[in-house]
Amino acid sequence: MNRAVARALWAGTLTGVGLCAAATLARALELAVAPRLAQLGVLALFVTPPLRLAVVASAFWREGSRRHAAAALAVLTALLATAAKAALR
Amino acid sequence: MLVALALAAIGAVAGSLGALLGIGGGVIIVPALSELYGVPFRHAVAASLVVIVASSSASSAAYVERGAANVRVGVVLELATVAGALLGSGVAGLAPVPVLKLLFALVALYSAVMLWVGRRDASDSSDASAQAVHGWAPGLAMSAVAGAISGLLGVGGGLFKMPGMTLAMGIPFKVAAATSNFMIGVTAAAGAYVYFARGELDPQLAAPLVVGVFAGAMLGSSLLPRFPARKLQGAFAMLLVFLGGQMIWNVLGVPR
Repeated sequence: MNRAVARALWAGTLTGVGLCAAATLARALELAVAPRLAQLGVLALFVTPPLRLAVVASAFWREGSRRHAAAALAVLTALLATAAKAALR
Repeated sequence: MLVALALAAIGAVAGSLGALLGIGGGVIIVPALSELYGVPFRHAVAASLVVIVASSSASSAAYVERGAANVRVGVVLELATVAGALLGSGVAGLAPVPVLKLLFALVALYSAVMLWVGRRDASDSSDASAQAVHGWAPGLAMSAVAGAISGLLGVGGGLFKMPGMTLAMGIPFKVAAATSNFMIGVTAAAGAYVYFARGELDPQLAAPLVVGVFAGAMLGSSLLPRFPARKLQGAFAMLLVFLGGQMIWNVLGVPR
């Protein structure tokens, strides 16, 4: 499980940080694309925690650890509901 | 360019300290943005929460890969931290800013005391599976408070989770730091979504901070095994006294 969780975290983080680095550079060069890159970077970071929770829930479920899988799923549901509410405003 | 570099430098300091101490680094970022750069407090909190997501994700990926975090404990405590974060970030939209700043300062001072008192019992054990975990009720309660503080003030909440895990649940300091980091990203994301919905999140402010904090978190998590827990807690307690005192000084308008 640890490897899968770490991969999910790395994927989201590196994408977000890469886009934020590009946004910072674009801002320094006064390029018009800077705000959009920053938005995409933040979006990638926002996606990382739910992605990590989904991986953890799935791993616990496969291990037969139903209580821990249910805990992870409950947190994931709360996060997704809040994110959906935010996106719809 | 200079502003972006300065923001990245603040992020780097916050990221390395965050990874070393099991906190998100927001306790440095929020006062730095609001007191040094004049960023509106709630915007500073929102940017800090995004940075905390990046900091936590980066450092906890390294911890989880090494098996240093107790994922089972973390997942259960996240139930409480996320509920607290949603409540805290909602209340933050209604509370007056001076009240939030004073609360921030009090939280920093409280955390300094807890870290200073707790450092004598700090264990350098880093085995995530060996310890017997107990005290779930106080652990969950402290986690809910940590989540609420995170949503209100843009800190990771590790400042409250760490005493809860080390003192109440008997988890060794370094395992608690790794587990706290693992949880902080989810807690901060819950709060950040709420600030985003209120239009208080500026991605262009957050982006350079994220870049700095990523570099800092990488450095901090690689240095963790080499640092003695006691000295880390003591040094950070002193830093918190300074930051908390400065914020009270500014809010109360004490003449310089």
